[in-house]
Amino acid sequence: MNNSFDFSSFSKQSPKGIFVIYTALIYKVLKATWLLLFIVFKDFSEISSFNVNYIYAGFVFILLFLLIRAILIYKNFQFKIKDDHFILNQGILKKTNTAIPFHRIQNINFKQNIFQQIINVYEVSIETAGTSKTEISIKALSLEKATALKEIIATNKEFNSENNIETEIKPLLNIDVKELFKVSLTENHLQNLFLFLALLIGFFQQLQQFTDSIGKTETLDGFIKENTNALTTSLFLIFILLIALIVIALITSFVRVFLVHFNLKVYLKENAYEINQGLFTKKSIVLKKGKVQHIRISTNPLKQLIGIYFVTFKQAVSGKTNSKKKEKLIRIVGCKKDQIETIKNSLFHFSDVENSLKKFPDNYYKRRIFLFTFLFLIIVYTALYLTFSRIEIFYSILLVIPIVVFLVFTKVKKRFYKTSDSMLLVGKGLLETHITYLEIFKVQNIKMKQTIFQKRSNVADIILQTASGKIKIPCIPFSDAINIYNHTLYKVENTNKEWM
Amino acid sequence: MTNYFKNDLVSELPDITKIEFKKIDKSYFKVILINFFLVIGLFLAGLIVLHQFVFPDYLNEYILYLYLLFTFLFLLIFIFEKMSFSKRKYALREKDISYKEGLIVKKLTTVPFSRIQHVETDEKPFSRLFGLSSLSVYTAGDSSDDLVIKGIKKETALQIKEFISIKINE
Repeated sequence: MNNSFDFSSFSKQSPKGIFVIYTALIYKVLKATWLLLFIVFKDFSEISSFNVNYIYAGFVFILLFLLIRAILIYKNFQFKIKDDHFILNQGILKKTNTAIPFHRIQNINFKQNIFQQIINVYEVSIETAGTSKTEISIKALSLEKATALKEIIATNKEFNSENNIETEIKPLLNIDVKELFKVSLTENHLQNLFLFLALLIGFFQQLQQFTDSIGKTETLDGFIKENTNALTTSLFLIFILLIALIVIALITSFVRVFLVHFNLKVYLKENAYEINQGLFTKKSIVLKKGKVQHIRISTNPLKQLIGIYFVTFKQAVSGKTNSKKKEKLIRIVGCKKDQIETIKNSLFHFSDVENSLKKFPDNYYKRRIFLFTFLFLIIVYTALYLTFSRIEIFYSILLVIPIVVFLVFTKVKKRFYKTSDSMLLVGKGLLETHITYLEIFKVQNIKMKQTIFQKRSNVADIILQTASGKIKIPCIPFSDAINIYNHTLYKVENTNKEWM
Repeated sequence: MTNYFKNDLVSELPDITKIEFKKIDKSYFKVILINFFLVIGLFLAGLIVLHQFVFPDYLNEYILYLYLLFTFLFLLIFIFEKMSFSKRKYALREKDISYKEGLIVKKLTTVPFSRIQHVETDEKPFSRLFGLSSLSVYTAGDSSDDLVIKGIKKETALQIKEFISIKINE
């Protein structure tokens, strides 16, 4: 598809883009006002027909306004390519002109949400390293134009050395529905349950704030109180609740995995990975190997049983924005052992570090965790006792202590590290097992911490800061810590390789 | 000027334990003291207001102990500040900059020049009174706790900044 498109003069998005922008705007408005709408429609029958007409008119007006806005946004959105810069003009009243030099462009990703899939356009987002402001997304481009744009930027820099014309390479990883089913079944359901509950609490808080301002709290409060009373009296209900929680946890796991990872395909290219996934929102990510700061290979007992792992690629993040960070985390689920090997092999030479001696933190680490968990337990139990003032709660210690002790021991056992000349490997985990691989020269700065208690045991913590987050090695013998410290600095200061 | 910062460590594996750290400027302790007394003043004022206007009589019987406790607490913090002040040290080497601090929790941070994104010096009002600056070094990624050296002479800070800038652009 040699460029039949001319990017040297300003061009707009595909006209279908109006529709995409329009739906996005409507979605935004709905998200902000859904509660209000809910209230209006709940008492819909009570509103006189006269007022209903006003409401209809209001809706039509808002929809029209949004449509005009969408058209204006579309009209004012122009981009071109000039002198190795991507130039973008946008804004209706406040005009913004952005120019991004090609060499600053990190990734070009294609994305399709459900509307974009229906009308067959792609959202192209241009990711840059550096300030978070310079992330640009072009909402609607035809596939041909999108690939042409990508190619132009790619050929002007070493982006994707091979041309993107369907070379039909076999994917490194192709997760079908059956595999995905296995993955979901073995997810960390506890974590998913918490996520769901957090979401639910957030939802209720929003609802409560709203009802507070309207003055309906009493009915809601009464409802909750009634239910909690029933709960404490009836064991049966607790049982039901437990089952419900398990079901919810399972469902959340399934929904989460299927939404994000549906039809996951990973292609291994010369200097990049291409990852395609998603059910409603299809995402296509090109991940350059050089941008990967470190990788984490994780599994849990269930996944280990059927021999699957997931890999998390950690890319360089730019600045303090927390929400951005998640986007730059790229997770591939359901990898088999040999696929893991291929991924690792494609990134770095890891055999040295894997064959080197497995070192564990000092006993001090175990003591510290024990101390803190028991302090925590004591606080929790005092708080519980003070609020309920019942001696019976202390019976649960019989159950809690062995579990806690067991957990602490597994946590300590999973903490280890291995070093080689060029790489560092850190293992950790509680229920899950995470193994982090880091090329030492990618470290940004290094920190050593030692409390006076640690000094007495002659141990220290090492914290390696990379562009994609911290890696901690706690409570290792002081001499080892110094060795790692010196070696890391030596490696960083004597390399000519770019860390990104 | 570069000679001033040169560290004659050219061994293959530079040893962090063998470098000589410089203490930060002594007059920075005065800055700490000013800040410290400002905070005390606020707390003390609060306590006096509570004593005079808010507390009921039965509480005011113990007010002397409260003041004593207050004094004791701040004495403790003062001693802690005094002792930990001498632990604040920095060092420059051919290829990196280090800073250490901490009395109870000792921290040592090193940033290689090749990873520095930019360097900043700034002067807070009280520091300016004593001609002091602080030097901040930023690296890529979550740059929340990169290296900051507070309380060095303004000229020194600017020299270090210059030195690092040259090193980065090499």
